[in-house]
Amino acid sequence: MNSFEDKLRNALRREAAPEGFAEKVLARTRGLSQPGAKAWGQFGAFLAMPVLRWAAAAVAVCLLVVAGLVYHQRQERLRREGEMARAQVMQALRIASVKLNVARKKVQEINRETPPSRL
Amino acid sequence: MTTVTLQQGGEVLGRFIRGDSTAFADIVQEHQSMVFSIAYHFLHDRGRAEEVAQDVFLRLYRHLDSIKSRNHLVFWLRKVTCRRSIDEVRKLLMTPPTSLEDVAVLAAEPTDLDPLLSRGLRRMVASLSEDARAVIILRYQEELDLADIAEILDIPVNTVKSRLQRSLEILREKFHRRAGDVQR
Repeated sequence: MNSFEDKLRNALRREAAPEGFAEKVLARTRGLSQPGAKAWGQFGAFLAMPVLRWAAAAVAVCLLVVAGLVYHQRQERLRREGEMARAQVMQALRIASVKLNVARKKVQEINRETPPSRL
Repeated sequence: MTTVTLQQGGEVLGRFIRGDSTAFADIVQEHQSMVFSIAYHFLHDRGRAEEVAQDVFLRLYRHLDSIKSRNHLVFWLRKVTCRRSIDEVRKLLMTPPTSLEDVAVLAAEPTDLDPLLSRGLRRMVASLSEDARAVIILRYQEELDLADIAEILDIPVNTVKSRLQRSLEILREKFHRRAGDVQR
């Protein structure tokens, strides 16, 4: 071993833990109250199940489709309402035009019947 | 208790999540050497290192639900061991040492090419500042690259690089000075 770094590597290599280390740790965990972590962990594992992942994807797709349909229906309703309003305006304009023509004819008739000297 | 292979790590985590109480024992068995060695090289005291390592595994027991994979588990253990060791070093700096660490070190000396040389080097590492010590231990015990060390210690890669260079300079200097003293 030549380089200083190799000497360092050799000096700092991993050592075995003291005899009975794992047993001591496990004895101390037995003294601990039941970790709430386990319940959450099991819940996490439940959510991580492949079937549930597919189900979640399917639900997401369904939600997207429903949202798309709702959006499309709303746009369609708005378009129909716009067309109706346009038709009503056109109808009103036609009625107004007819009425105006009638009024114009009446004015012309009155003008024709009245001699210019009386004006 | 069986020794758990590296490939089995992810499966062991799954067993613990499913409520298998023996899974945690397998996790401790697999990683005890890494955790204990990081703490030991920090503290240079086997008794305190064992205490720190036990504490790390107890924390792991409480937080195992947040561990996503085997790689995450190893990352978490290294990070928490470093932090816990740094805290312990700082606590020790405030109280005068009373342990029989030299006796313990000699009794537990691992077999290597030159035990005295290795022991000297470990003492030199233990004399570095705690931040520098963390970098050296993760680099030469755990063989991590600079990016991984930066992630574990939550510092920029450039800081790791400069700490590593500076620490190596200090260690080399001490090492050569000591070698010179021995020759004289």
